[in-house]
Amino acid sequence: MAVAAGSRVPVEERLFSLVLALLATEAGLTKAEILSTVQGYRQRYRASGDNANLERQFERDKDDIRELGVPLETLESPGEPGNNQNLRYRIPRGDYELPSDISFSPEETTLLNLAAMVWREGSISGESRRAILKLRSLGVVTDEPVIGYAPRLRVRDVAFEPLTAALDKHVIVRFGYLKPGEQDARTRTVAPIALIQREGRWILHGEDQDAGGTRNFLLRRIVSPISTTNTRYPAFPESATESAKAELDKIWESRAAIVEVIPGSDAATRLSKRADTGIDGDTLTLHYSDADLLADELAGFGPEVLVLGPESLRGAVRDRLLRTEADHG
Amino acid sequence: MAEAASGRSKSTGRVPPLQAQDKLTFLLSLVPYLMDHDRVSVADAAAHFGMTKEQIREAVRLIGVSGIPGETAQYQHEDLFDISWDDLEENDQIVLTHRVAIDDSPRFSAREAAALIAGLQYLSSLPEHANRTAIATLTAKLSRGASATPSQLTVQSTRTDETLALIRDSVDAGVQLEFDYLNSRGERERRRVDPLRIESLDADWYLRAWCHLREAIRTFRLDRISNPVVTTEPITHGAADVKLPDSLFEGSADDLIVTIDVAAAAAPLLADYIPDGAVTVESEGRLRTSVRVSHYHGLKRLIASMPGVALVIGPPDARAAVREWAAAGAARYE
Repeated sequence: MAVAAGSRVPVEERLFSLVLALLATEAGLTKAEILSTVQGYRQRYRASGDNANLERQFERDKDDIRELGVPLETLESPGEPGNNQNLRYRIPRGDYELPSDISFSPEETTLLNLAAMVWREGSISGESRRAILKLRSLGVVTDEPVIGYAPRLRVRDVAFEPLTAALDKHVIVRFGYLKPGEQDARTRTVAPIALIQREGRWILHGEDQDAGGTRNFLLRRIVSPISTTNTRYPAFPESATESAKAELDKIWESRAAIVEVIPGSDAATRLSKRADTGIDGDTLTLHYSDADLLADELAGFGPEVLVLGPESLRGAVRDRLLRTEADHG
Repeated sequence: MAEAASGRSKSTGRVPPLQAQDKLTFLLSLVPYLMDHDRVSVADAAAHFGMTKEQIREAVRLIGVSGIPGETAQYQHEDLFDISWDDLEENDQIVLTHRVAIDDSPRFSAREAAALIAGLQYLSSLPEHANRTAIATLTAKLSRGASATPSQLTVQSTRTDETLALIRDSVDAGVQLEFDYLNSRGERERRRVDPLRIESLDADWYLRAWCHLREAIRTFRLDRISNPVVTTEPITHGAADVKLPDSLFEGSADDLIVTIDVAAAAAPLLADYIPDGAVTVESEGRLRTSVRVSHYHGLKRLIASMPGVALVIGPPDARAAVREWAAAGAARYE
C-alpha cells in the first residue's frame, strides 16, 4: 500500500528533499507538484483522490522549515490572485545562503561556541545547537577548546518560551501580573519589545496597551499562562531595546539602600562584592532595581544585616523575617 | 543561595537524540562542508561537528540518495547527489562526487542569531571579553547572516570584580591559588587550591578547584572569596586528571532530606535542590516536595530569602533552624 510505503521515508528525508526541490526551482512549484513529485510526499500522493492529510503534513513541514530560518516563499499566480491551489512555493537562493562575504575567524568561532554553551535549557538550547551546526558548516578549524569556562544562563520562568515566540512573531500577548503588595493579579495586554536579563532575572520590556506607555515586567511575577493574540504590531526599532537598558541602569543607580552588616559575616563578604556597593566600615550602600527583590535577598541574611534606610525597605525586611518566623512557629 | 548546599542539578542532561529539525539542519550544514573537502574521513567530520561517527555515516548515506525531482520529476541519476560508496563503506572516507541544489551554507534563523548574540553579551562579563568591539563585530555579522532581524533578546552583563580576572590568570598559568573562604556555615579558612574551571549560573560565579585542605574537588562561590593570591606553585591536579561533575551541586550520602512546601510557580527556582525521584504532591498552587541540603545553615538562608513562597514542613529541627534565624533577624528591628 502506498501509505505504508510512504511512512518508511524518515521525516528528515522528506524535509531535506522539500528544501532541495524548492531551492532548485526558479519559478516555484505548486502544492500539487510538490505532493506528487517530492520524495516523502509522492509515495503517499493519490492522483485522483483526497490528499487532505498530506496537505496538512505539507503545512506543518513548511512551518518547521521556516522555523529553521529557511526563507520559504509563497508566490501568487499573477493571473489568479487569491487562488490557493495556484500558489507557488520556492526558496530564493540569495535569502537562503549565508552572504559569501561573511566569515568567522578561528578566534570568533571559539567565542561563538562558548556563547552557544551558555544555553542549556529550553528550546533556546536547541536553537544555539543548530546555529553551531551551521557555523561548523563553514569548516573553520578552531584553536584549543575553551575548557577554563562553563558559563550558564537559566531560563526557568515558564513565561520565557511563549514570550520569545511572541517577540519573534510580533504579536501582542496577554497575561496576569501580580505586583508585590497587591492582592490580585491584573491582566496586562502588552506588545513585547525586548526580553532583558539583568542580575539573573528576566524582564519583559513592552508597550502596555492599556497604560499606553512602555513598562517592565519581571517574568517571575507573571502568574498566568501567556495568551498569545492574533494582533500583530510593527517591529520596534533596535534603539528601543537600548533605551530600555539605559533606563534600567538609571533606575539601578538612583535607588540605594543603607545597611549595617556584622563584620566577617556572610552578608559582609557577599554584599560588599555586589556591583557598585559603597563601603564605609560596616555600613554599606547597596544599589538595586527592585525593592521587593532586595528585601527578599536581605531577609535571607537573617541577623547579619540591619537595614537603616529607606524606611520602607526596613519595614519590608522586618515583615519578611516576622512572616518566616511565624510560618515556622 | 547557599554555597554548594548540595542539591542535584537537573539541567545537565547529555546531548539529546537529534530531532527531525536538528537532523535537517545537520544535513544542510554537512553538504557545504563536504563540498569544501574533496575527501574527509568519517572520524574527522564527526569530530568537527561534534557527532558520532554513526550519525555522520547515516547522514552521508541519506545525502547520497537524495536530490531533486528534476525535469522528469522522477529523480533521475543526474538529479541526485552522489558519493563514492566504496570509499564510505570500505575506507570510512567521504567523497562527494556529484551535487545538486545546494551551493552554500544556510543563514542563521532570527532566533538562532538572537541566542548567540545574547550569549555573547553574557560572555562580555568575562575579563578577556571586556573588549566590546570584538563582540559588536560578531553581533553585526550574526545579524547580517540571519534570515530575519534577530529577536531582541539581551543580557546585561554583570560587572565582575577583579577576583575573576585573578582566578582566570591562575587557571591559564596552571598555578595554585590561595584565598580566604567563608563557607555557608560561617567558618572562615585559608584555602589553597588547584583552580580548574570557572563556572557561572546567571549572575553568580563559581570556581571549581581541587582543594588541598579537603583533598577533594570543591565548588567555591566567588563572592565568598577574599584576599586571593596567585602563587608560583604549579598545580598538582589538572582538569584532565580529575573528573569534574557536570552539575555544580553534587549530592552526597550525608545530605539531609527536608520536606518543604513551595508555591508551584517558584518550584523551578529550587530545582537544583530537589533530588531525583522526590515525591511531589501538588495542591491548590502549592507543591509539597523534598530538597536535599548538606546542613541547615544553607537551608535557613535559602528559605528566609523566599518569605511566604517556600517553607519548611519538617523535620522539626530544620523548622527550628529557620525559625531561630528569622527571629534573630527580626529581633534586630525591636
